[in-house]
Amino acid sequence: MSNLATVESFVEGAPPGELADVIADIKSLTVSDPGLVSKLAPAFEKYNEEQFATVKLPGGSQPVIISSHSALGGGRYYDVESSSSFDFDHTTQKASGVQSHALEGAQADLVKSTLKSLSTYVKEHYPNAAYGAYPIENDSKVAVIIVSNKYSPNNFWNGRWRSLYIFDPASGSLEGSIKVDVHYYEDGNVRLLTNKAVSASVSSGSGAGIAKEIGAGERKYQEELNRGFTSLSEGAFKGLRRQLPVTRQKIEWDKVASYRVGQDIGGGSSRR
Amino acid sequence: MASADPFDSALDLLRRLNPKHTTTHLQSLISLAPDLTEDLLSSVDQPLTIRRCKQTGRDYLLCDYNRDGDSYRSPWSNEFDPPLDGGVGGDGGAGDGAGAAGVPSDKVRRMEIKANEAFDVYRELYYEGGVSSVYFWNLDDGFAGVVLLKKEAKPGSASEGSWDSIHVFEAIDRARVTQYNLTSTVILSLSASGSGLGDLDLSGNMTRQIEQELPAENDEQQIANIGKLVEDMELKMRNLLQEVYFGKAKDVVGDLRSVGTLSDAGRDRQAQKDIIGSMWAK
Repeated sequence: MSNLATVESFVEGAPPGELADVIADIKSLTVSDPGLVSKLAPAFEKYNEEQFATVKLPGGSQPVIISSHSALGGGRYYDVESSSSFDFDHTTQKASGVQSHALEGAQADLVKSTLKSLSTYVKEHYPNAAYGAYPIENDSKVAVIIVSNKYSPNNFWNGRWRSLYIFDPASGSLEGSIKVDVHYYEDGNVRLLTNKAVSASVSSGSGAGIAKEIGAGERKYQEELNRGFTSLSEGAFKGLRRQLPVTRQKIEWDKVASYRVGQDIGGGSSRR
Repeated sequence: MASADPFDSALDLLRRLNPKHTTTHLQSLISLAPDLTEDLLSSVDQPLTIRRCKQTGRDYLLCDYNRDGDSYRSPWSNEFDPPLDGGVGGDGGAGDGAGAAGVPSDKVRRMEIKANEAFDVYRELYYEGGVSSVYFWNLDDGFAGVVLLKKEAKPGSASEGSWDSIHVFEAIDRARVTQYNLTSTVILSLSASGSGLGDLDLSGNMTRQIEQELPAENDEQQIANIGKLVEDMELKMRNLLQEVYFGKAKDVVGDLRSVGTLSDAGRDRQAQKDIIGSMWAK
């Protein structure tokens, strides 16, 4: 693998809210080749669009989303709610050059009504999320994005929940995925990564119907995820190492040689 | 601003990138900064590899501490596989000094044999399966060693997992006691999948250190001391892993998205405040 491909893979693997730390590490590791970091712009763009990076527009109060679905090309993106387009610097993650951007076309009304219903849902379930809806594929479908971040670097953890849905008005199908990424790194490195495909149909085809299906699916998934934690804890984790031996007592190390005999009689050592 | 030490940056990066792929990241870092190869290989813990001892038919674990070039020493037979050139290994010429080619002296090897037997019992009692290996080596003022344990959950079932314990210690002779310095790392990978759950991966590693002085009159006491230290450390780390993997991670997901509505949660908090307020008013 070339050095550029190597550092690009590091960028791609940056945990939520830690891209700047990863870049600092890459810079320190490549001081002998300072040109390398300047070649990372495409990797930053890919990372920001895939992770649904959020940015506050100058003078704006709500964060807006960076994604391939909200890209206008040439480093510009747009947001429907604030009716604006802007330049986004993928390296500094700063927005500039805000202009008004009115949404037109066949899906404009559906996008706006979806945003309205989504706003109520997001406020009720996400303490800190950005959301967006955008017409895609020549104005034939609508992409809906929700991204929720919580960063607590002082306590060595960061997290991100991101959902992407594509609604097809022709068939009424809503397809998407929910991804959760949690990083905990105090005296260690622990990572939760999930990916859940979602598939539903919205018979009404309305913005309210889309938001309702999204809400129901996300609730179901989060409940399933919580059960997943419990079953891993009670199942695989317990099966790997017991908290205490069957005797519920710690080992008497001065007598450990005599355990050997009992163990062999019990035949336990043959088990895998 | 002076730039950071590249070694520290490499460790910082490994603390951030997906811990499930530490071995891959380590290879990438080594190709990026070959100067760091030795330091990184000796300080970054990776999941352990299992090999079968040709002499005894028993499984043992591979790590940097039983490696000589491309050969690894079995704790059960004391033989290197593949055999080392020049016939070093086994009982070959180590004497009472520091072992040639990473082979402990006869005295320390005798302790190593006993420690392997003791931790084999420990493994069966706590892991009910898996593989254990203990390697000792001589120090000028004592000895050092590593206790390795590995267990893999059945692959193919709805949930999978693996546990690797790596306990590196020094036992240094002091006037009346032995000073033990223990650094323990547990690498724990868990995953689950299903139609409702999709794919879930929960992987990582945690490291803890402890220093303790204990009397050790003979080899049996040495092994008992090391056994107790490792046993206590693993209990502590198991509890910690449980807290982080199933408590903290779940809490963070709950911080990202609330299952119940936030207005209900707000009303509950207000109701609680009102109750507490009315209790104070009485």
